Amino acid sequence: MDFSLSEERKMLQETVGRFFENNYKDIKKRGEYLKMTDGFSKEFWKESSNLGVISGLVSPAFGGLGGSGEDICIIFELIGKSLCIEPFLSSGLLSSTILSSLNNPKTDLINQIIAGKLLMSFAHMEMNNRYEDHFIETKAKLEKETWKLNGSKSFVINGDSADKVIISARIEGKVNDKKGIGLFLVDNNFINNRPYNTIDGYRSTEMSFENINGELLCKDNQALECIIKTNSAGALALSAEAVGIMQVCFDLTLDYLKTRKQFGKSIGAFQSIQHRMVDMMLEIEQVRSAVMLASSTFESNSTTRDKNVSAAKNLVGRVGKLIAEESIQLHGGIAMTWEYSVAHYAKRLIMIDHLMGDADYHRDRFKLLSSI
Amino acid sequence: MNFEYSEKDENFRIEVREWLKATLPHYLKEKVKKYQRLTKEDYELFMNNLSKKGWLAWHWPEEYGGTGWNAIEKHIFEEEIVKASAPRIVPFGVNMLGPVLIEFGSEEQKNYYLPRILNNEDWWAQGYSEPGAGSDLASLKTTAIDKGDHYLVNGQKTWTTLGHHADMIFCLVKTDLNVKPQLGISFLLIDMKSPGVEVKPIITLDGEHEVNEVWFTDVRVPKKNLVGKENEGWTYAKYLLTFERTGIAGVPNSKSALNHLKMVSRNSMKNGKPLIDDPIFSSEVAELEIDLLAMEIFNLRTVSAAAEGKAPGMESSLLKIKGTLVRQKTTELLRKALGPQALPYLPEQFDEGWNEMPIGPEYAGPIAKQYFNMRKISIYGGSNEIQKNIVAKASFGL
Repeated sequence: MDFSLSEERKMLQETVGRFFENNYKDIKKRGEYLKMTDGFSKEFWKESSNLGVISGLVSPAFGGLGGSGEDICIIFELIGKSLCIEPFLSSGLLSSTILSSLNNPKTDLINQIIAGKLLMSFAHMEMNNRYEDHFIETKAKLEKETWKLNGSKSFVINGDSADKVIISARIEGKVNDKKGIGLFLVDNNFINNRPYNTIDGYRSTEMSFENINGELLCKDNQALECIIKTNSAGALALSAEAVGIMQVCFDLTLDYLKTRKQFGKSIGAFQSIQHRMVDMMLEIEQVRSAVMLASSTFESNSTTRDKNVSAAKNLVGRVGKLIAEESIQLHGGIAMTWEYSVAHYAKRLIMIDHLMGDADYHRDRFKLLSSI
Repeated sequence: MNFEYSEKDENFRIEVREWLKATLPHYLKEKVKKYQRLTKEDYELFMNNLSKKGWLAWHWPEEYGGTGWNAIEKHIFEEEIVKASAPRIVPFGVNMLGPVLIEFGSEEQKNYYLPRILNNEDWWAQGYSEPGAGSDLASLKTTAIDKGDHYLVNGQKTWTTLGHHADMIFCLVKTDLNVKPQLGISFLLIDMKSPGVEVKPIITLDGEHEVNEVWFTDVRVPKKNLVGKENEGWTYAKYLLTFERTGIAGVPNSKSALNHLKMVSRNSMKNGKPLIDDPIFSSEVAELEIDLLAMEIFNLRTVSAAAEGKAPGMESSLLKIKGTLVRQKTTELLRKALGPQALPYLPEQFDEGWNEMPIGPEYAGPIAKQYFNMRKISIYGGSNEIQKNIVAKASFGL
């Protein structure tokens, strides 16, 4: 057994880590980026591309430099550490995963994404589909050899700035049938966008569209498999992001416990506080381990892949709540302020449980996949 | 044992309810329900109404213009205010300072300040916490130096709730630096318009401005603004905190939050079915309701003992701990019930008169924000850790 990273991956970790650190040193920076038209810094995105961070999320088979579960986790853990809000998830990972999983992979589009020239988004969630892969109300119908899409999509991260959007839509059957689903490539100019910021400081959008043209990418089993794989990739990435965030929360809290003095000593000198820090440390190691397992089996068969991703994401949901709440409580009032960074980490950590399946969703999926 | 309210209590409840129904404007009720930002005028409108009715000083003895209600009546009153979606009564003047002045103030102070509080003329703020004095309140550093006919005050207070509206602030200040911290503290009333007082907003993690820093630079405070005796402020401060802790369990708030949670979980869908039909989620709601049910009885036991004249001891600490945990759990389950609908955050949704289309159901807007905001309740008013210290110290003989 070997739990260490290869030399190449260590280098990736160092380079990307330094890059994020330099650009996101101050939490105020993140707020400034969010206020920009696109909800992130295009300049930073271009630099990410030049440095090969985006291609780190894509397999060499499609022109990337990484793309394995381990690569995804290395990059997203660093994203978590810096609370980076660039479209790594929407463009870099989710869209490229779909484009590379097709019978005829759209390598040209992937290459444009890697080059930082094309932004894409995966619009799957709907107002009432919660976290389901197959619950789809948006409709697609064939009219004179052209696919027409009708409906609305919700909570599309960085969807407002995307050039092209991949939309999941129902071709036939009932709203929660597993059959009859298609994935379509759409030009974002045809879509009505209502952009907004999320509570954890990301740009998102509500999309609505009437009778717009879409290019069919895949349908039925292949489409459903594609959605499941993409959502698993997203859940894995978010889990790794959460590991990075948890570590920062822990470090900030420990630091504060050492410097903050009350009753004539540092508050970290109280045993009851120390025990709570040990609980946090222990649970973070549990999450880190589950994420390592999920990352190393991400290229296995879909059952193993999804089971381990669900284990990781379930733990992330449960432990994330503990770490976020304890970090705030152990800091006290200072953690309730906008100015101090820990609140922003805590908010993101909590809201990660509202994306790509929460702890309950992944517990249920784990039960199914492991026949419990 | 009899867990029923008496007929007299029930009649009292109806009286309060009818009065609230008749006097609380619809727009204000809606703002409170939608968690919209309340203006100074919103709070004042409600408090002026209470003042006219003679119910503002609901904690005070009758001889000072209070209601003279017993603990059960006070409990009913608190419950009805929350049920009616009224704004909260800003507690600093009427609930905190008032009782201290009644017990320790000079005749001059009582004659001047108490009627002004009763008529809601001054907006008071609380000047207790400092950047270096949170849990360890006695370690405060703001000084008041004796200059003959006045004190010269220098220092900084923090977490001053609604301090940006305040006309007056009561402060704990150091008047003797050479003794044990608790023995050198005095209780001072300071006019916020005095030269040298500066209020700076603190923006909280939910992007809101409710608390402030208050800075004092060479502020001259007349000697007549000292409450009680010099260097005995710690006694008054502790006396005041016992009033801060009445109703601390927040049972009425949690009850209304639980009802809200049930409504939201009936409307949230999971795979085409209402979330409340999900056996695991509904079990969590049920266990929360059981906790709340038990806490309500625990609270009533304490209230009813207080009505018989027994001062609550550790019970208020225990109720503070449980009360905050239950309240936080309701906000957590609400957040969870929403699923991805908890993500959007439109700050303008909390302004009066906002009439755009909400994203998703209208109730979704404030829920994540409320969850994060409610992290404060286990921190303020003596953190839950401090409450545990108090209980352990007072009751175990270890």
